[in-house]
Amino acid sequence: MTATLTPAAPAAPRARRRWPKPTLLIGLGLLALLLVAALFPAQLAPFSPTEFDYNAILQGPTARHPFGTDNFGRDVLSRVIYGTRIDLQIALFTTLFPFIFGTLLGAVTGYAGRWSDALVGRVADLVVVFPFLVLVIAIVAVLGPGLTNLYVAVSAVGWVSYWRLTRGEVLTQKKAEYAQAGRVLGYSPARILLRHLLPNAVTPAIVYLMTDMSLGILLGASLGYLGLGAQPPTPEWGVMVADGKNFMATAWWISTFPGLALTLAGVTFSLIGDGLADVLRPRT
Amino acid sequence: MKRLTRVTLTLAAALSCGQALAVTRGGQLVYGRYADSLFLDPVLNDANLDIWILTNLYDTLLQPTTDGKGVQPGLASRYSVSKDGKVMTLTLRSGLKFADGSALTAQDVKWSLDRARRPDAGAWSSSLASISSVTASGSTVTLNLKTPDPTLPAALATFNAAIMPQKLFTAAPGKNDAEKAKAFAEKPVGSGPFVLSEWKRGSYMVLKRNPYYWKKGEDGKALPYLDSVRFEIIPDDNTRILKLQAGELQGAEFIPLSRVAELRSSPRVNMTLFPSTKVNSILMNNRPTLNDGTVNPLSDVKVRQALNYATNKQALIQVVTYGTGKEMKSYMSSTTPLFDASQKGYPYDLARAKSLLAASKFKNGFDVTVLATSGSADDLALLTALQQMWGALGVRLKIEQLDAATKTARYRANDFQMRTAAWTNDINDPSQITSYYALFSNIESVHTGFKSAEIDKLFAQSQQETSRVKRASQYRAIQSLYLNAAPIIYLYETPYPVALAKNVRGFVQIPLGNNIFAGASLEK
Amino acid sequence: MRRGMHSHYVLKRLLQIIPTFLAVMLVVFLLVRLLPGDPASAILGDRATADIVERTNRQLGLDQPLPTQFALFVWNLLQGNLGDSISLKVPVLRLIGERLPVTLFLTVYAAALGLLLAVPLAVLAAVRRNTWVDALIRGVFQVGLSLPVFYVALQLLTLLGARLGWFPIGGYGSGTLGHLYHLFLPALTLGLNLAAVLVRTLRSSVIEVITAEYVEFARAKGLRPRLIMTRHVLRNALIPTVTLLGLNIGALIGGAVITETVFAIPGVGRLMVDAIFGRDYPVIQGLTLTFAVIVSLVFLLTDLIHARLDPRTELS
Repeated sequence: MTATLTPAAPAAPRARRRWPKPTLLIGLGLLALLLVAALFPAQLAPFSPTEFDYNAILQGPTARHPFGTDNFGRDVLSRVIYGTRIDLQIALFTTLFPFIFGTLLGAVTGYAGRWSDALVGRVADLVVVFPFLVLVIAIVAVLGPGLTNLYVAVSAVGWVSYWRLTRGEVLTQKKAEYAQAGRVLGYSPARILLRHLLPNAVTPAIVYLMTDMSLGILLGASLGYLGLGAQPPTPEWGVMVADGKNFMATAWWISTFPGLALTLAGVTFSLIGDGLADVLRPRT
Repeated sequence: MKRLTRVTLTLAAALSCGQALAVTRGGQLVYGRYADSLFLDPVLNDANLDIWILTNLYDTLLQPTTDGKGVQPGLASRYSVSKDGKVMTLTLRSGLKFADGSALTAQDVKWSLDRARRPDAGAWSSSLASISSVTASGSTVTLNLKTPDPTLPAALATFNAAIMPQKLFTAAPGKNDAEKAKAFAEKPVGSGPFVLSEWKRGSYMVLKRNPYYWKKGEDGKALPYLDSVRFEIIPDDNTRILKLQAGELQGAEFIPLSRVAELRSSPRVNMTLFPSTKVNSILMNNRPTLNDGTVNPLSDVKVRQALNYATNKQALIQVVTYGTGKEMKSYMSSTTPLFDASQKGYPYDLARAKSLLAASKFKNGFDVTVLATSGSADDLALLTALQQMWGALGVRLKIEQLDAATKTARYRANDFQMRTAAWTNDINDPSQITSYYALFSNIESVHTGFKSAEIDKLFAQSQQETSRVKRASQYRAIQSLYLNAAPIIYLYETPYPVALAKNVRGFVQIPLGNNIFAGASLEK
Repeated sequence: MRRGMHSHYVLKRLLQIIPTFLAVMLVVFLLVRLLPGDPASAILGDRATADIVERTNRQLGLDQPLPTQFALFVWNLLQGNLGDSISLKVPVLRLIGERLPVTLFLTVYAAALGLLLAVPLAVLAAVRRNTWVDALIRGVFQVGLSLPVFYVALQLLTLLGARLGWFPIGGYGSGTLGHLYHLFLPALTLGLNLAAVLVRTLRSSVIEVITAEYVEFARAKGLRPRLIMTRHVLRNALIPTVTLLGLNIGALIGGAVITETVFAIPGVGRLMVDAIFGRDYPVIQGLTLTFAVIVSLVFLLTDLIHARLDPRTELS
């Protein structure tokens, strides 16, 4: 997997309608769907996600098992539904800390500059020259496989992108008229930073957050391929795709349906990200 | 019944090549391996990745038979043991040559065996520990033994006793043996059927026909039939299979057992399950307390027996090995010499398991943690199934996945409660697995902490017992004692799954795991 | 910007990299030793006795105190010696020399394919923005971006390799043409991923430029559309793309791990993962240093190209 660093999409054309475009609404609708599955898996899933059924091993899609069964006779539909919670959790926990920490740090060092900026810059350089996936693999190997350690590993590395994005924005915004005005009015630096600069500077980070969420899920899948992802019998989509790869020729449904779920989540986050970019971008 | 036919078929396939009327000579066989070899020194290597191909490069005085049950002549055409069992005399074939054309002499044999049996030489030197001195004269090599050693013929048929060219090795650059070995092993010259001609690490390795190889083929001319063997390193199982199906490979090892049935029905592939010495089990920590001081229910023999009875081997064989496995009846595989066919193992009996547990101190069930190798689909399938099976006893199994090196380190520190484990013999004798599994003095009975004075005594006797009958009865007693004490969970034996192109004949992977290309040919 | 200032700037940047490298070396040195399990566990496997483990550790010098080991490592490094691989028993430098070109070839190939796909499609999507063409292009790449790399790789391999037989299944081939042929599918796998990232940014910046005043002005002047596209629009729209590409090259090299595994390519990504699992300290250290050098150089190069494309950039 490529750990991709996407700077914010540059400012879009000026002429813009003010109401949210359908992208955001569709995205939010899909997210609602995912949230329902994540909150009420027991009500939605026809079977247990972990129970074996030796009499129903590797069965193709039928009315009873619409997504078929896996090599233990477990119902793939039920596993996909139960997996929603796990994967949304991965999306959230791999990005939450990097987002908060990176953004705040970016705001502070971008505003204060000097040694704090230089120091964080050196640390960021250090993190960036390590290949992302390799670093995560090494950290997970140290701490042991499992989702919690995945979160720790990603957080240790992921904050740099948010730091860069926010710091860049703050540097630009600092020179903007309203910030200078605030200074003239004698506002404290903290007030200028938190009340005025940050809300404007955080936009690219929020947009990137959406991309990052699907990257987090994909990272989980890649680690699953290497055997370092979610632990069994946890029904995690990426690991389900990885586990199903040996059955791709004979039982395509095992990896295809969780793969579709991954795609759905990715599209959802991306639509929301694009939509938010439109809404949040400061209008001139 | 089904299994019987399969084994017969495999054997038939292995034998039919020997009976074929005309064998085609020439050609290159491309064989897909899951990982590359590391270090091609017969004495100092540590991994199956090396061991399983080494005998193609380095020949030994005796060779394991292809059924894994005994030994056959190799570089030595015959051997005899003195009456008191303390002198072994071997006669070398005449005109033996290394792959560079230089003569292989009794002096090379003496030098190679002396190098291999040095106590500080690698992990394998103990197999030759009974030798007190080696003398060479003409074509005769004499081994003087400290004590009679029934395992010695098998030891001389094992990779670490391979005969190397003394002159070439000592001429290799380097200050000491380890450095010379490094240099020599990059482009080794031995007397096996093939010689290394090209090696791009992690990518491919080409073995060329050794024109001086002594063994004759069925057409009366020297083996091997093939001009060359090319190993391609393809770590991903799917890719290896796709490449074979596309005709880019003529053989692929380590086919996932889940794909065996599918490949059997493929018209282009000859899916072969070679009988192996591989036993899959779960090792238990038998000590009263764990490293962190907590009480260990597995120290109670009734608990260990209960878990064994509660393990439905037939179900596991279906779910984990897709019907290719075979129930384990003894701690050693049924292909190991002196395996006792009367061993009962632990047939699935949940009622008995429940009553055994009820009679133990842990009748209300307990939590137990097992270490698994991360990324191993087999481990996961096995343990998720066991979670369910043992749940019926009130035993809650927790799976802890670790990467192989961490798992080994924890194991070595006795810092585990249970772990998955597989074993294959390196030598055609029961003493190797027994010394690891049942003797505390070696590695604390595979770190279970199991200790039995009776087994220790029987083993010591068997190591010097020259009567095969008496030795067999000693081993029967050892296997029964071990079964009763149940230091491990008995699971299943699994074969070596190899997919070959339809035109490949005569390739064998013997039960020890060695890939034998000497008799392989590519038919039209 | 004058040429002399360029070389001055390059020198300054190179000097800045040195402390980063030192820190990288220290971190990786400690990190590998923090990994549970030691090289002896990894190479000797389950069967080794305590004596053999101890002897192996002594031979490898791992019984020395950490500061001594680090000093020795730095001392050897200064002499251009990265040590020998513990499991493969050959010099690390030689291993890297054999494997790095493979990964670099793959990376450049993937970047080229990625650009080749991304630039025309992004321009098309921008010109036809908010039509079904735009939606289709963005949709397809979005789906590609949401699937795990190993899944895309396996599907490409199965379809274009096994089913249709257009490309060989894995391997590296020989000769430049052989490499291009063998590495097409893996490069496409990585390239698609990269293109998906690039298309998003590039489309936005093309839209921004074509609606900008100076392009309107050029159009009003009657310049040919093709000329406007190449001279003004692409040149300006490529600026953020170059930055993005530079940022992604590092990720691409490290991200080749899984592609290399699926396609059986003997590159450094796979070597690194094997080394981590095999606790091959010298290989991990040597590779990390190599990655750090490459990524730093790519970043520097990106900034220089950026400066050429955009005369407003100040190198400071």
